Amino acid sequence: MTTTTDIAIVEAEAPERRRGWLDVVLDFCRRRPLGAIGAAIVVLMILVALTAPMIAPYDPLAIDFAAMLAPPGADHWLGTDAYGRDVLSRIIYGSQTALIVGFGAAFVGSTAGAVLGVGSAYFGGRVDLIVQRFMDIFISFPLIILALAMVAILGNTLPNLIIAMTAPMVPRCALVIRSSALSVREMPYVDAARAAGFSHARIILRHMLPNVMAPYLIMLTSFLGQAILLEASLSFLGLGVQEPTAAWGLMLRGAAVEFAETAPWMALFPGLAISLAVFAFNLFGDSLRDALDPKLRTG
Amino acid sequence: MWRFVINRFLLMIPTLLGVALIIFLLLRVIPGDVVEAKFMSGEGSGASAEVLAAERARLGLDKPVWEQFAIWMWGVVRLDFGISMWTGAPIGDEIALRFALSLQVALMATVIATLLALPLGVLAALKQDTWIDYAVRIFSIAGLAMPSFWLGILMILGFLIFFRWVPPMVYTPFWVDPWQNLVQLIWPALAVGYRYSAVATRMTRSSMLEVLREDYIRTARAKGLWLKLILVRHALKNAMLPVVTVIGLEFAFLLGGLVVTEQVFNLNGLGLLFVQAIARRDYTLTQALVLLVASAFIVVNFLMDIMYAWLDPRIRYR
Repeated sequence: MTTTTDIAIVEAEAPERRRGWLDVVLDFCRRRPLGAIGAAIVVLMILVALTAPMIAPYDPLAIDFAAMLAPPGADHWLGTDAYGRDVLSRIIYGSQTALIVGFGAAFVGSTAGAVLGVGSAYFGGRVDLIVQRFMDIFISFPLIILALAMVAILGNTLPNLIIAMTAPMVPRCALVIRSSALSVREMPYVDAARAAGFSHARIILRHMLPNVMAPYLIMLTSFLGQAILLEASLSFLGLGVQEPTAAWGLMLRGAAVEFAETAPWMALFPGLAISLAVFAFNLFGDSLRDALDPKLRTG
Repeated sequence: MWRFVINRFLLMIPTLLGVALIIFLLLRVIPGDVVEAKFMSGEGSGASAEVLAAERARLGLDKPVWEQFAIWMWGVVRLDFGISMWTGAPIGDEIALRFALSLQVALMATVIATLLALPLGVLAALKQDTWIDYAVRIFSIAGLAMPSFWLGILMILGFLIFFRWVPPMVYTPFWVDPWQNLVQLIWPALAVGYRYSAVATRMTRSSMLEVLREDYIRTARAKGLWLKLILVRHALKNAMLPVVTVIGLEFAFLLGGLVVTEQVFNLNGLGLLFVQAIARRDYTLTQALVLLVASAFIVVNFLMDIMYAWLDPRIRYR
């Protein structure tokens, strides 16, 4: 049973005539309902982040000692924290932090990985060997230590945080892209470009990179969720975003654990926000991967 | 085959050396050193420059950087990691108990993850695109999405509210009281194991799906073989390789990557030691820890590659 239906699906996925983007979107929704749900949540999250100043009921940084640890109610839908700050407003503003860090790290990480992977495959030989060794080193290096060290050396700013977080992404992406690029390198148009005397940079950027777009997009989307999760863990440890900025991982730190028994909403809702965001990104990323390249596994 | 094994083995050396060099240099670039951390905080702040210099000389920090590196490497080659710059105790003693704890949690999480992942992944693959498949996928994507430390917080909160039970503060080693030890560690293992099982479930599912499409499965079915036999003999056996790989890699990752969950559950494992060591600028301890965690990862990777090559002769000649 299963095998026959699988074959039918594979055949249905063969490239069709050129379609408008709306058709593509509708088709994606119809064939991959889970992915469409994920995408819808992601879009909603982006909207929330963009309109945060309009929709947040309170200033996320406003301290109100009269309303410390207030339970969820009419005034504060999701309660307040130990400083009387509105949890809902902080979650809404926290989506900005999560998206900036998530997209920033995922984009930088996968792009650097793609350039390294393609370059490594293109030059081959000794360059390939050396790049691969460096990737091995970074992949086996404990991430927390790298983050701790980066923050201690460079200072605790958002760009530095993003750079520290790309460390585990670059080698993973480079590995996947390299294996795709190895087959692209054997294509006649790359030979032609080389024969025409184009520079290495031009061949890599203009001729090879566009042809590894599918694995690149897959890695990018799979990194989005991971980056949000990683930022939350680092912020929870006090290594990421610093108070009083609204960030989900930060909201789970300190008072949220101390007062967990009396004010569980402080620990509950930010965690839910993280989980929902990562869930949506993964759902979307999975379906995108299935649609683009059913054979590639990113784990 | 032997050539492949030896080549692959030799490749581990530059990787380990690179890790060692990077952590060594990183630590020296971070502002402050162990002597400052010791004397400048709390009592004894205001120690004179001579005292600081004497202490640095005692720890060998006044030597040129390359010489320090050479001394360290010479020790590592003889498996002598030196003494902790902060406590003065041998590194082995500092790490042993904590490593045992982290190792145990990692092992328990692996067992939990495997027991969950295999049946769920196979089931989802067999029932692809049915509600069972969707349920398994949602369960596993949720596992990837929930931060384990948050899951840990929720667990502790649940025990507190419903059972008035707080996880014990003091670690009980397995050989002292196995029951107490398991009760204490099962919860962090579950919190981590859920995410871990999600990774493995997804890999099992996609790997099974791929194998089920192969010709030999169709042949087996055409021969009229019993479905269960096909699954176990033909499909599962071939689908296991990538699954074993992710389980191995996650295991290696768990050995050093539990920093956050350990904090939530008040466990004194390797993760906490990591944070302390770097905060105190305890160079020798941090270096040893990084090397330990990295070698675990590198060795697991090596073993996986060997296993692949052993099972699939095509890889050996690449």
